[in-house]
Amino acid sequence: MSSSKFKEVVNKIISDCPPGELREVYDDLIKITSENSKNTLLDAIESYNVQNCIPVDVDGTFIIISKYNKEGSKFFDPINSVIFSVDHLGHKGLDIEPYEFIHSKLEKQQLKDLHDKLHEYLLQNFPGDVSLAVYPVPEEISKISIIIVSTKYNPNNFWNGHWRSSYIYDLDTKELTGHISTQVHYYEDGNVSFQSGKDVSQPNVVDVVSTIRDIETSFESDLDLSFSDLNEKQFKALRRRLPVTRSKINWGNAIGGYRLGKNAAEGK
Amino acid sequence: MSDAQFDAALDLLRRLNPTKLQENLNNLIELQPNLAQDLLSSVDVPLSIRKDPTDSNREYLCCDYNRDIDSFRSPWSNTYFPELSSEDSQDSPFPSTPLRQVEILANDSFDIYRDLYYEGGISSVYFWDLNEEEFDGHDFAGVVLFKKNQSDHSNWDSIHVFEVTASPSSSDTFNYRVTTTIILHLDKTNYDHDSQMMLSGNLTRQTEKDIGVDMSRPLEIISTSHVANLGSLIEDIESQMRNLLETVYFEKTRDIFHQTKNAAIASSAEETNKDAHAEVIKGLQSL
Repeated sequence: MSSSKFKEVVNKIISDCPPGELREVYDDLIKITSENSKNTLLDAIESYNVQNCIPVDVDGTFIIISKYNKEGSKFFDPINSVIFSVDHLGHKGLDIEPYEFIHSKLEKQQLKDLHDKLHEYLLQNFPGDVSLAVYPVPEEISKISIIIVSTKYNPNNFWNGHWRSSYIYDLDTKELTGHISTQVHYYEDGNVSFQSGKDVSQPNVVDVVSTIRDIETSFESDLDLSFSDLNEKQFKALRRRLPVTRSKINWGNAIGGYRLGKNAAEGK
Repeated sequence: MSDAQFDAALDLLRRLNPTKLQENLNNLIELQPNLAQDLLSSVDVPLSIRKDPTDSNREYLCCDYNRDIDSFRSPWSNTYFPELSSEDSQDSPFPSTPLRQVEILANDSFDIYRDLYYEGGISSVYFWDLNEEEFDGHDFAGVVLFKKNQSDHSNWDSIHVFEVTASPSSSDTFNYRVTTTIILHLDKTNYDHDSQMMLSGNLTRQTEKDIGVDMSRPLEIISTSHVANLGSLIEDIESQMRNLLETVYFEKTRDIFHQTKNAAIASSAEETNKDAHAEVIKGLQSL
């Protein structure tokens, strides 16, 4: 296989990995290919982490890495005032150095105030391990990026849950746009995946935090309804719990009786 | 290929997005072509459908167990389609003549079962001999398949692979071993809200049961007993699996989702405050 084809296949597999299981997927791929593919795998994992806004442990604080806080090969956090490199497989921050936030429109305190208000909301609505990012959008000085990640990983019981919502707020136009995505993976004696997503767009937003709260609360209650709906309608229509006759089948020679009965009822 | 590679590949397929199972399977085989045969014969993918041109285009189900080269044997006519050249079909696997008779009976019985439980869909049953000699009422194996599609948004595939072997301890007792995989896909797109939701995947369970069969009776009656035993075993397994799927899909995943996001904790915190407040008032009133 050519190396570009190899890269493409590895990227496809890694990009399909459920959050919380990168390490295991990496180990499996090393076994299937060889140690020689390590660098290709690590490159794919780096893009996965950035694209999926994965939080990394920077000296005990979890900081989300994304395209918004990337500077060369490093990542920065304007509120915690640090810049660091990342061990992408171990999800750890390395070479941590102080970082000074300089922006032509935004003050650090502005970001911090928004961060603190959001944090208060998170504590009341997200029981998982929560990370929060408030970053300026590079090149677009009036825009702020907000990312919320909440995870609950329980590999001992073969399940992992993940929530991510990310928004862009434009201070000039007051428009809030974004996307919510949520994923649950259950893999005890099987492989079951629940995924849901929603695009969000709201004009004239003055109170960013309460708008996000409203959007996410209604997303959550809509999901509850969808769960019931899928169960009551689609699932029940696939296979009955008991036959139309309401009792278990009488197997053996007598089984032909069901067909005779049905044909008779249909006048055949 | 090593066992470690095969195990790693199975572990990966258990982790990656189950809706892209076929794609991931192809990618893994591309990475490690040696894995192809073992993966294709042990990983259950959604069943495909073909039509039997010699039986009014009646539909039948296809999997690795009724495949030869690129053709699939129909349970209705016992013929491979697309038809194989006479040279190729000489080596094609077919059940022995007496076992084919049991296969016909099983297809007929499970077709009635399908109608009663699925009210639609397709079923197919394939048998194969486990002994060199012709089937004499003893060991055999097979697969029982069901598929039901309801629009593009819900799909159910049941795959029951079984083996029936005489118990070493008693000549009138048979061991029925069934490995069941159910692949269930449900999705929902809400265009008004730009939102999508998908519940998809597969669960696998193994079941084993010893059942007595009176071997002094004629082969036809013994065969009917085998089909009846398989039938009620698979009926029980599917009922249990349906309950399990319902619990995992609609309770378990929803519960895990709420462990990441739950607006109720905010309101329950308010409740606690209210309660505390009420306690204080009560305390004041009793003074």
